[in-house]
Amino acid sequence: MTRLAAEAPTVATPGEERVASETKLAHRRRPLRPSTVTNYVLVAVVMVLYLFPLLFLLNTALKSNAAFSANPIGIVTNPDFGNFATAWSKGNFGAYIVNSVVYTGFAALIGTFVSVVLGFPVSRRYLRGSRIWTVFFVILLFLPNAIITQFQLLLRLGLYDTQIGYILIMAAAVGVGPILIAGFVRSLPVELDEAASLDGVGYWRYLFTFVVPLARPAIATVFILQAIGVWNDIILATILLPDSAKSPVTLGLFAFQGTYTSQWGLLAAATMIVAAPLVVAYVFLQRYLVGGVVGGAVKG
Amino acid sequence: MTQTTFPFPRRSPMRLTFAFGLLVIGVFALVPAVGVLVISFTDIRGLPYLPVNWIGFQNYISFFSAAHLDYNLNAMRNTLVYAIVSTVVQIALALGIAVLFNQKLKGRTVYRAIVFMPTVLGVTVIGLVWSLIFNPSAGPAATIWGWFGVSPAFFGDQHMALGLVIFVQIWSSIGISIVIFLAGLQGIPEDLYESADIDGASGWQKLRLVTVPMLAPSITATVLLGIVSSLQSYQLAYVLTGPNNSATQLLSLAIFSQGFGGSSSSGTAQSQGYAASISMVQFVIVGVIALAVLAYLRKKEARL
Repeated sequence: MTRLAAEAPTVATPGEERVASETKLAHRRRPLRPSTVTNYVLVAVVMVLYLFPLLFLLNTALKSNAAFSANPIGIVTNPDFGNFATAWSKGNFGAYIVNSVVYTGFAALIGTFVSVVLGFPVSRRYLRGSRIWTVFFVILLFLPNAIITQFQLLLRLGLYDTQIGYILIMAAAVGVGPILIAGFVRSLPVELDEAASLDGVGYWRYLFTFVVPLARPAIATVFILQAIGVWNDIILATILLPDSAKSPVTLGLFAFQGTYTSQWGLLAAATMIVAAPLVVAYVFLQRYLVGGVVGGAVKG
Repeated sequence: MTQTTFPFPRRSPMRLTFAFGLLVIGVFALVPAVGVLVISFTDIRGLPYLPVNWIGFQNYISFFSAAHLDYNLNAMRNTLVYAIVSTVVQIALALGIAVLFNQKLKGRTVYRAIVFMPTVLGVTVIGLVWSLIFNPSAGPAATIWGWFGVSPAFFGDQHMALGLVIFVQIWSSIGISIVIFLAGLQGIPEDLYESADIDGASGWQKLRLVTVPMLAPSITATVLLGIVSSLQSYQLAYVLTGPNNSATQLLSLAIFSQGFGGSSSSGTAQSQGYAASISMVQFVIVGVIALAVLAYLRKKEARL
C-alpha cells in the first residue's frame, strides 16, 4: 500500500527530474542516448492523455455553479464540496455500485464455472465428439446480437426484471472462456489424471481440487475478461432491468446524467463518486487484473 | 482419436457438470441466438400476449425498402467505418505503445496499469468524462479549438461525432491490447535483437523484421477479436451520443432502437421481428468480414 502511495506522485510528474536523472545515468553507461529522452517524452504524452481527463473531472467536481460559470476550465482555487453532498443524496450511487458488484461477481463466477466444466473434459477428449465440441466453442464467439430474443426469453420464463435473469444472461456470455481453459489444460500432464484416479480421487474432486488450482492463471483470465464485459454493460441492463432500484452503476449514472444535463459540477461529482472507489480498488488490484488478462493466454 | 480412456471410476459426475454448463449456455445464449433467425420471420412485438404471425421475408424486404434503406445503409456504413478504423488504429497504436513500454524505463508497470484503467471505470464514467472534455460551450477541447478560431459542437457535430466516438473507444480499450502485446514482447528472446544489432539493423527494421513477425499470432487474435467485437459494440456510442443520432447510428444501436422503442421516427418501431432481421444482417456482415480477415492474416502469418 505504501509502495503504491509512493509511486502515485511520480506518475503525475513524469517530467523533468526523472528524465534528467535518466540521461545522466545513460551518459555514464553509454555515451549518447537521445532515444531514452524521446521515450520518456512519448510516455509523458500517453500519461497526460490518460490522467488529464480524470484530473479535469476532479477539478470540475470541486466547483460550485457560480465558479463553473465564471471560469469553466480554470484550476479550482477554493474547492467546494457541495456537489459531492448533493450528488450523493440524489444519486443513490452506493446501491448501484453494490448492484454492479453483485451482478459482475455472480455472472463472472457462473460463467467461469461453466467454462471450466466444459473446457476440461473436451480438452482431455473424455467425451465423444470432442472435435465437434471444440468447433462449438468457436461458434459461441460469433453468435448474432440476441438482445431481442434474450428479452423475449426472460419475459416468457418470468425472469424479466429480475436480478437472477440478468445474471444468467450475462453468465452465459462466456466468450473465449472454454477455449482458454481447454488450451491451458492441454499443458497439464495427462499422467496426473491417471495418478489421481489410482489414488481413488473422483472426477469432481480431481477437477475442483487439482485442476482448478493448477489452472489458476487461465481461470483468472477467464473470470476477468467476463467480469469486464458485465461491468461495462449498459444496453442489456436497460432492456432487462427496467426497475431503477436494480440498475447497475453504469445505468444509474447514465440516468443521473439524463436528469441533470449540463449541471457539469454536479455531474462531475457524481462521476467522481462512482469512479473513486473503482480507482482505489484498481490501485490495489491492478497487479492481478493486468497480469490476469494474459496469465492464461500465454500457455493456451 | 476422438476419445481417450477415462481414468476415473464413474463418468456420471463429468456428464452432470458438462450438462449443466451446456444448459446455461444453451438456454441463455444459444437458444436466443438461433431464436433471432426464427423471429426475424415474424411480426413479434415488445408486449407479451399479442398474437405472433409468420410473415416470411417481409422484415428483410422492409429492411431494404426505400423507406428504410437510407437509415440502414447509413448504419451499415457507420458500423464498417467504426469497426475498421477503431481496430486498425488501436492495433497500430497499441503495438507502438507496447514497444515503448517494453524499453528499459522506470515505472513501466505503473504506465501499463494507467492505460489499462479505463477498463474498470466502465462506459458511463468514460462517457461522462469525455463529454465534459468535449463540452462545446465550456470544455477544454473547445478552448483548444478556439485557438484556431473554430467552435465545433463535437458530439453534436454530424461530421465529428463518429470520429470522436472512435477516439474514445480506442482510448478506453487500447489497454487490453497493450497488455497482450507486452506479454508477447517479453516472450521474444533477447538474442534475436542482439544478432539484428550485429547485422546493423535500424530500429524500424528490428520492429518490422523481428518484433512484428514474433508477435504475429497475438496480432492475429487481437485483430480478429477486435473487429468482431467492434462490429457489435454500441455501449459507448449509446452513452456519448444517444441511440438515435444518425451520425453515430450503428447496426447494434439500430437493433436496440427499433426493437425497444428508442426510435419514434420509424413506422415499424417496436416491431421486434424487424429488429431481429437487422440482427441477422449484422450477423452476416460480421461473419463475412471475420472470415476474410482470418484468411488474410493466416496467409500473412504463413509468409512471415
